[in-house]
Amino acid sequence: MSLRNHQSLRANMTGYAFISPFIVGFLAFTLIPMFISLYLSFTTYNLFTPPKWIGLGNFEKMFTGDPKYWNSIRVTFTYVLVGVPLRLIFALFVAMILNTKSRMVGTYRTMYYLPSIIGGSVAVSIMWRNIFSNDGIVNSLLSALGATPVKWFGDPNASLTMLITLSVWQFGSSMLIFLAGLKNISVEMYEASSVDGASPVRKFFSITLPLLSPIILFNLIMQTISAFMTFVPAYVISKGEGGPMDGTMLHSLYLFRQAFMFSNMGYAAAMAWVMLIMIAILTAILFLTSRYWVFYETEKGR
Amino acid sequence: MGKKGWFLIMAMLLVLTTACSGADSGSNSGASADSKVKLRIAWWGSDTRHEYTQKVIDLYKQKNPNVTIDVEYASFDDYWKKLAPQAAANQLPDIVQMDISYISQYAKNGQLEDMAPYLNQKIQVADVNENVLKTGIIAGKQYGIPTGVNVLGFQYDPALLKKAGIDKIPDNWTWDQYKELALKAGSNKVYFDSSMAADIFFHYYLRTHGKSLYNAEGTGLGYDDDKLFVDFFGGLAELIKKGATPPPEIMNQTKGILEESDLVKGTGIGIWQWSNQYVGLQQVVNRPMALAPMFGPDMEKGIYMQPTMYWTVAARSQVKDEAAKFIDFWMNDVEANKLIKGERGVPISAKIKEAIAPELSEATKQVFDFVASMEPKASPMSPPPPVGSPEVIATLTDYIEQVNFGQMTAADAAVKFRTDANTILANNKQ
Repeated sequence: MSLRNHQSLRANMTGYAFISPFIVGFLAFTLIPMFISLYLSFTTYNLFTPPKWIGLGNFEKMFTGDPKYWNSIRVTFTYVLVGVPLRLIFALFVAMILNTKSRMVGTYRTMYYLPSIIGGSVAVSIMWRNIFSNDGIVNSLLSALGATPVKWFGDPNASLTMLITLSVWQFGSSMLIFLAGLKNISVEMYEASSVDGASPVRKFFSITLPLLSPIILFNLIMQTISAFMTFVPAYVISKGEGGPMDGTMLHSLYLFRQAFMFSNMGYAAAMAWVMLIMIAILTAILFLTSRYWVFYETEKGR
Repeated sequence: MGKKGWFLIMAMLLVLTTACSGADSGSNSGASADSKVKLRIAWWGSDTRHEYTQKVIDLYKQKNPNVTIDVEYASFDDYWKKLAPQAAANQLPDIVQMDISYISQYAKNGQLEDMAPYLNQKIQVADVNENVLKTGIIAGKQYGIPTGVNVLGFQYDPALLKKAGIDKIPDNWTWDQYKELALKAGSNKVYFDSSMAADIFFHYYLRTHGKSLYNAEGTGLGYDDDKLFVDFFGGLAELIKKGATPPPEIMNQTKGILEESDLVKGTGIGIWQWSNQYVGLQQVVNRPMALAPMFGPDMEKGIYMQPTMYWTVAARSQVKDEAAKFIDFWMNDVEANKLIKGERGVPISAKIKEAIAPELSEATKQVFDFVASMEPKASPMSPPPPVGSPEVIATLTDYIEQVNFGQMTAADAAVKFRTDANTILANNKQ
């Protein structure tokens, strides 16, 4: 070994030493548990007795013998497919308002971002439960307007709507990213189009949206993934039961019930892996379709 | 990279990983040379319970200065999520507060200690009714020591009952009389009750017919006549439909928010639940209330004294003697029980019951009297729910919800529940 080699090794050693906490953490808390969970998905395991290998039994049960699983998939997809677009539209809308030049704009930005900081927390879900309770502010408003109050947690259709509303309300992080994107669109574009006599609507569809499309793609993917994994609000709002009539039984909540209430750890692990694959496929589809609607300023942008 | 480099990395990894795991390994060594004893104890409950339990523990430490006690407590739901992984890692606390629906699972998986050898040695049980003590026996072994007993009943507001046109709950009332009265209340625009928890009261109903929810071995359901299911749940659904009890939308909406319940708001007469829940309810309702026995016929066959919860000792514990001593203290020490005030059920020791009687609040006195009046009538308890019962109960609750929402007939639910429950129980057979 030459001297130079030796020196670079020593230099590297310091590096390895510094990243070793991460490596240990990654191995101990991510990679190894993942493989164990993969193994468990082919077993029945109740935490007390050793896992018993049953091959594809869990997957078979999931796809053919468990209507509640399919219900949870249906609820989750409704939640994601309705909630995510709404949230993004709302986020973009607010971002455009906050992109104007106003003295208070800094304060507004902070205010609108707040719901996302306290994001998935239990406190927000409890607050949401109070807002939509019998004597809550939403029902008081409805009665004041002459409409009949809604049993938000009692009616199987209303409860998912309420859950989606909550997710739309937490639009802050995508809003901030949109805001950054909007700032990046050069003013000359708009000025030029104004000279050509373009209406604001035309400007939005011909300039803002195309130039923002890479950001939309990013937000879409990030929000979709996180929406699939939503757990806390459904758990808190339905008191852990996914009710009424399983109307808020998100996939993650059903998985949690299988794992920690019924001690079906193997089955829960199998559910988790199927969800992982589903998210991967959906993300791939988003990427593949993106070439038809995402526009990059540099021609070979992708 | 050279050999030396790899060695260094490996060494570092080793240090890091052992540093992580080393934190736990020291905490198990119970008794050490200088007779210092360290106990770990875990329970679930409300804030009130946490407070007085801590006081009892302090009292015990005061009387036994060589003992230190680590406490772990949580809400009911969180408690079981924490306990299961601890059990899997062989790290259960020395003394574990145990619920009747989980005790089979923990006992049958070898997590708990048979306490029979400790009885009348470390734990004095001379003043305890034998039938009550027997409720801690699972598969022939005394795994649990009951903290107190409960009995089912109807807890109601007598004034509101009168307003609904009913003078009093008749003596020895029957299931049919109950339904009649409920409909009468409903026609007077007052809800009679808030329906009944599916598993507990269906089990009671089955018992009055000489059956039970699970068979003795816990391998399947304990009844095979679907008519019982249809009569009971069909009857309850009928009451909902006719406005005698609130519709499921309202029940779901107000679930877990006592302040919004009909009983508290003065639009519902009563509630069906365990006697130990009466005191807390009385505090919130804040009007005179009363307790009534379950409906018959054959109420005596149906009711039983259920342990509110158990104290159990972990099989892995290194300090079982001290754990047993603490349980004895809890059961038989007058001073301690003056702090407990029957919050974990009516004490099982007759002497203690007598000793603390003058200290009780009005509501607690009512409960003690009610339990005392039911005790001679009660039949032996059915065996504790088998492994897999949480899933069976969730399944039952789901189907009943569909029946109550009018999306399924009770007859369909009966058949589906039978199939599902038997599958679940068969899967958990060991």
